[in-house]
Parts: sequence; C-alpha cells; structure tokens
Amino acid sequence: MGALLAATTSIAATREGQAALPAFATAVDLHKAMVYSIAWQFLRDRVAADELAQDVFLQLHKNWARIESPAHMVFWLRKVATHRAIDAARKRKAHAETSLEETDEPTVLERVHDSFLSSYLQRMVASLPEKLRGVIVLRYQEEMELEEIAKVLDMNVSTVKTQISRALDLLRGKVSRRLGKGTGQ
Amino acid sequence: MTPLEDDLKQALKRQEPAADFTARVLARCAAAELSSKRRFFWSAPVWRMGLAAAAVLLMLVGGSVYQRHEHEVKGMAAKRQLLLAMRIAGTKLQEVQQRVKESEQVEQ
Repeated sequence: MGALLAATTSIAATREGQAALPAFATAVDLHKAMVYSIAWQFLRDRVAADELAQDVFLQLHKNWARIESPAHMVFWLRKVATHRAIDAARKRKAHAETSLEETDEPTVLERVHDSFLSSYLQRMVASLPEKLRGVIVLRYQEEMELEEIAKVLDMNVSTVKTQISRALDLLRGKVSRRLGKGTGQ
Repeated sequence: MTPLEDDLKQALKRQEPAADFTARVLARCAAAELSSKRRFFWSAPVWRMGLAAAAVLLMLVGGSVYQRHEHEVKGMAAKRQLLLAMRIAGTKLQEVQQRVKESEQVEQ
C-alpha cells in the first residue's frame, strides 16, 4: 500500500501548470462523503452505497493518470458516481419499486419535527424517477449550478431546468398534500 | 429559493461512510494493482522475447549436439572400415609371403 501511495503522490508532483492533485488516499478522504451520499440517495442501503462508492474510487484509481486537476477530479467523481448510481437504482427497481403514491404517510410525530420532515423528503426524493433524482441530488445535495449538472448528466441546461421544475412540482404536491405545511410555496 | 428547496438542502445533506472506508478502498486498489502487475509480468513483451530467444537457443544447441553425434557415428564407421581394410590387407600380405616362401623352397 506504501507503493500505491508513493506512486499517486509522484503522479501529483509531476503535473505542471495546474493545481497539484492530492495523493490518492487524501483524495478518497476528501471526497468519500460526496460519493457515498450520491450513492446513498439512489440506493438507500448502506452496504450497497458503500460498495458503489468503493467501485467509483477504484475506477478513479485506474484513471488517475487522466485526472487533470482537483476540480476535474470532483467533476469526474460526481459524473461517475451519479451514472453508476442511476444504473444501480434501475437494476434494483425491478426488485422493489416505491412510487410517490406508495410512500408511507408520515406519522403525527413526523409532522412535528424537522428531522422527520428531512427523512420524509429523503424518501420522497428516493421515489422520484432516476434521472429526476439525479438532478435533485446534484442540485440540492451537491449544490451544483445548472450548467455543471448539465455537463455531469450529459443534458442541455434547459432540460435540467425543466427536470428540476418537474421534480419540485412532484415533491411540492406530495409534501403540501401530506404534511399540510407551507413548504410548497 | 423556496421553502421546499431549503428543506431539500437540509434533507439531502452529505453523510459520512463507515470509518474504515478509505482503508478498504486503498486495500482494494493495492490488490487490483498487484493483480494487474502479475498479469502484465506474464504478458510483457520482454517475456515473450525471452521465450523466443530460449527456443532459438535450444534449437541451436540441439542442432550442434546432433551434428557432433553424427560426426562421431561417421568417424566410428570409417574407423571400422579402416580396420577391416587393414585386416584384409594383412591377410593378403600373409598369403603373398606364403607363396614367396613356397616358390623359394621349390627353386632350392
């Protein structure tokens, strides 16, 4: 493992004219929460999300020589993680699909506490179609600009806008109907 | 930003994976690296060239050993023929000597 770390550090050191890349281990530490959370939002299963995130970093390690800068690495990780997560979610969909309408009603307690609202919203997001979910996760978890989302998901900016609006409408309708809260405005 | 969007940001906060996540990733990368090095080692051009060189060397050495063996066989055959020729010549010589002695005795 020492050789691996040394190799990745030396790759970083040889790049000129660009912000230096961190060593591979540091890169994993820096971005593991981002990659894992993207996987989690799609799979909602700790083991599966952990495995998917590991696969993404393994792929990053194989493609390490092609990474040009820290910003490129973040873009690459988001893109690979999102596409892999969409694929994995589609595969799992065959086993158990949860539609917006099938999602459980929140209990009285859930209406009281914001943490329950968060949990409810997470379930609502998880019930969105994969592409819409990808757009929402990148927009509100990763706080990415529309142009960046368009690049990651290989879409037009206008399509991203439309999909966000569609997803928000779906969520708004569901949340205001079920929680009777002013979040839909 | 609408209240729903604020709520979404709150709900979709990043989560940390298990504490040993980085160590497990590095272990998998090291294992993958080792396995690809092994594969590269056996499929490397240097190995293929080495095997070809060894085959050529084996053929040269084999050819040389065979030639030497052939040479020895031919030498032994020639030796045998020479000995046979000498034996025949010796017998003929003895016969001639015998006849010379006999004719001398007749003259006396």
